[in-house]
Amino acid sequence: MSELRQSVVVQRMVKRYGRVAAVDDVTLEIERGEFVTLLGPSGSGKTTILMAIAGFVQPTSGDILLDGRAITRLPPERRNFGMVFQGYALFPHMTVFENVAFALRARGRPGEEVQRKVVEALDLVQLSPYAQRLPRQLSGGQQQRVALARALVFTPHLLLLDEPLSALDKKLRADLQLELKALHERVGLTFLYVTHDQDEALSMSDRVAILREGKLVQFGRPRELYERPATRFVADFLGKSNFIAGTAQGGDGGTLAYSAGGLTLRQAVAGAPPAPGAPILVALRPEKIAVVADTPPDTANAVAGRIAQWSYSGTHFQLLVDTPAVGRMIATVPAWRCRIEPATGATVHLGWDPDATVIVAEDASADSPH
Amino acid sequence: MADESRIAAARSTRSLGWAIVLFLVLPITIVVPVSLTDQRFLSLPQDGLSLRHYVNLVQSAAWLSSVGQSFVIASGATVISVLSGTLCAVGCWRLGSRWSELVRVLMLVPIIVPTIVYALGLYRLWVQLGLLDTYFGVMLAHGVTGIPYVVIIVSTSLANFDPRLEQAARNLGASVPYTLRRVILPSILPGVVSGSIFAFIHSWDELVLVLFIASRAIFTLPRRIWDGINEHLDPTMAAVATALVAVTAILLVLDMRTRRQRSE
Ligand SMILES: Nc1ncnc2c1ncn2[C@@H]1O[C@H](COP(=O)(O)OP(=O)(O)O)[C@@H](O)[C@H]1O
Ligand SMILES: [Mg+2]
Repeated sequence: MSELRQSVVVQRMVKRYGRVAAVDDVTLEIERGEFVTLLGPSGSGKTTILMAIAGFVQPTSGDILLDGRAITRLPPERRNFGMVFQGYALFPHMTVFENVAFALRARGRPGEEVQRKVVEALDLVQLSPYAQRLPRQLSGGQQQRVALARALVFTPHLLLLDEPLSALDKKLRADLQLELKALHERVGLTFLYVTHDQDEALSMSDRVAILREGKLVQFGRPRELYERPATRFVADFLGKSNFIAGTAQGGDGGTLAYSAGGLTLRQAVAGAPPAPGAPILVALRPEKIAVVADTPPDTANAVAGRIAQWSYSGTHFQLLVDTPAVGRMIATVPAWRCRIEPATGATVHLGWDPDATVIVAEDASADSPH
Repeated sequence: MADESRIAAARSTRSLGWAIVLFLVLPITIVVPVSLTDQRFLSLPQDGLSLRHYVNLVQSAAWLSSVGQSFVIASGATVISVLSGTLCAVGCWRLGSRWSELVRVLMLVPIIVPTIVYALGLYRLWVQLGLLDTYFGVMLAHGVTGIPYVVIIVSTSLANFDPRLEQAARNLGASVPYTLRRVILPSILPGVVSGSIFAFIHSWDELVLVLFIASRAIFTLPRRIWDGINEHLDPTMAAVATALVAVTAILLVLDMRTRRQRSE
C-alpha cells in the first residue's frame, strides 16, 4: 500500500507569464492520503499549480517533490499521477472501455490484465453497463465518472481534479460531492482538488489552501479557516462576514478592549494583544450575532441600529442593519421561533461575545509594487 | 417599396451567381459531348453519338500507360505530401510560437510563387541530382508542391482539436509518439484524408512541372493531352479529359463526405 500513497510538496513555486505572476512563491505540503483543496477565485492560480504538479507547466522557479524527490523536470507521462480535467477531456473517438483502458495500453499491459482492471474501475464508478458507449452518448455526470475511472485504473500516486463538478447542475453536484468523498475514503489515495466553490471545499476537504492572486493566503482545516480566518479576504471568501475597523486600547486577562465608532468593544485574544493605539480589523460572522428587539442584550458587545432590509430563506432571516456606530451589519437569525418581527425601519440591538469575533489582517493590495 | 427593390437586388445577385456557375462549369461540360463525337477530329457530334473514342482510349497502349504513370506518380506524391505536410502541421501546432507561424507561411510558398518560376528552379536542381525524367523526380516535385494543401487543411483540423486531449493522454502515461498515433491522428483523420485527396488531385492534373522535368520516360496524362493538342486533334483527348474530370469529381465528393462525417 505504501507506494500508492505518496506525499507531495510544492516548494516555493513561482510561475510568471511575462510580467504577471500566475503563481507567486507558493509552498504546499500535502500528506499521504489527504484530501486537499485549492480554493480561490477565478484567475488565482489554481490550475497553474495543478498543471505544474501534473508536469504540463514548468515553474519559473521552485520545485515539486514527491516523497522528497524533485520531479520538477520529469515529463508528465512518467509521473504516474491521475488527473480529472476541467471538462473531462475524454477521447471522443474511443468507447468508455477504451478511454479507461488507455493508460494500461500505453503501459503495454497484457490484454487479460487490461480487461480485468477496466471492468473493476467501471464497477467502482457504477458504469459497467455503459462500457461500449461513446463519451458523447453519456450525460455530464456519467462522463465525469468515466474521467474518474480513467484516472484511477492505473493506481496512480496521486489524483488531481480540476473543477470536476463545475459543469454539472446543483443537485447532481451535491450527490457527486458525497460520492467523491466516499471514493476518497475507499481508495485511500491523496486527492488534490481545485474549485472556486467554497461550500464544496469546506464539505469535502481535510485541508483547504486559499489562494489569492497567485499567493497562498492560508492553509488549514475547513473549520479552522472558517472560525479563524487570517485575513479579510479569507473571512470574506469563505462565507459572509462583517468587518469592524477599530483602534486597540488595552488588554487584560485574554480580552482586548478596542474603540470603534465611539464605542468600546471587546475581543478575546490568545497570546500577546496588539499594542494600544494600533489599528485593528475584526471579522464577525452574521450567525454569531444575537439580535433582540427591545432592551440591549447582556453580551459584552452591543450596538443598536435599524433594519434597512431583510429577506427570508426558509431556514433563517437575513437582516441588513444600519448602525450609527459601526455602519451596515449583516445578521442572520434562525426563522424557527424567531424572537423578533423583521420589519424595515424597526430598531434592533445586535450583541456578540468577545470570542465570536476574530482579528484579521488586511490583504496586500493587488497592485502594490512587489 | 423597399421590399420590391430588395427583391430586385436579390434577383440580380442570383442571376450573377448563376452566370458565374455556368462560366465555371460549361467549359468542363463541353468536353463531354466532344468526347462522344462520331467524327475523327475534335468536334461536336454530327450524325449521332459514338463511344469509339472511349474504345480507342482503353485500347491504346500509350494512353493506358499514361493513366498508369499518372496514378503511380500521384499516389507517390500524395504519400510524400501527406507525411511531411501532416508532420509539419502537427509540429507547428505543438510549438505554437511565432516561429511556427513563420514556418507555416513558408510552407505556402509553392502556392504563392508562380509554378513556372518554381519549375525553372526545380529543373536546375533536378539536373544536378540526376532526377530528370524519373518517376521519383516527378513524385518528389509533385509531393513538395502538394504540401501546402495538406498543411492548410490539417492545420484547420488541429485548430479545432482540444489540446487537453493531448495532455490527458500524456498524463495517462502515453509517450509523445503514442499520443500522436492514438489520440491526435484519429482526431484529425478527416483533415488528413481531405488533405491527401487534394494532394492527389494536385499531382493528377499537374502539367507545368512535368513539362520541365520529364522528357521520354515520363508521360503523365496531362502531358499526353498537351502533346496531343499540339500535334493532332484526336477526340480521344476529349474522352481522356472526361475521365479526368470524372475522377476529380469523384474524389471531391469523397472529400465532402469525409467532411460531413467529421462535423457530425
Ligand atoms: N498560458 C498562459 N499564458 C498567460 N497567462 C496565463 C496562462 N495560464 C494562466 N495564465 C494567467 O495566470 C493566472 C492564473 O491562471 P489559472 O491558474 O488558470 O487560474 P485559476 O485556475 O485559478 O482560474 C491568470 O491571470 C491567467 O490569466
Ligand atoms: Mg482553472
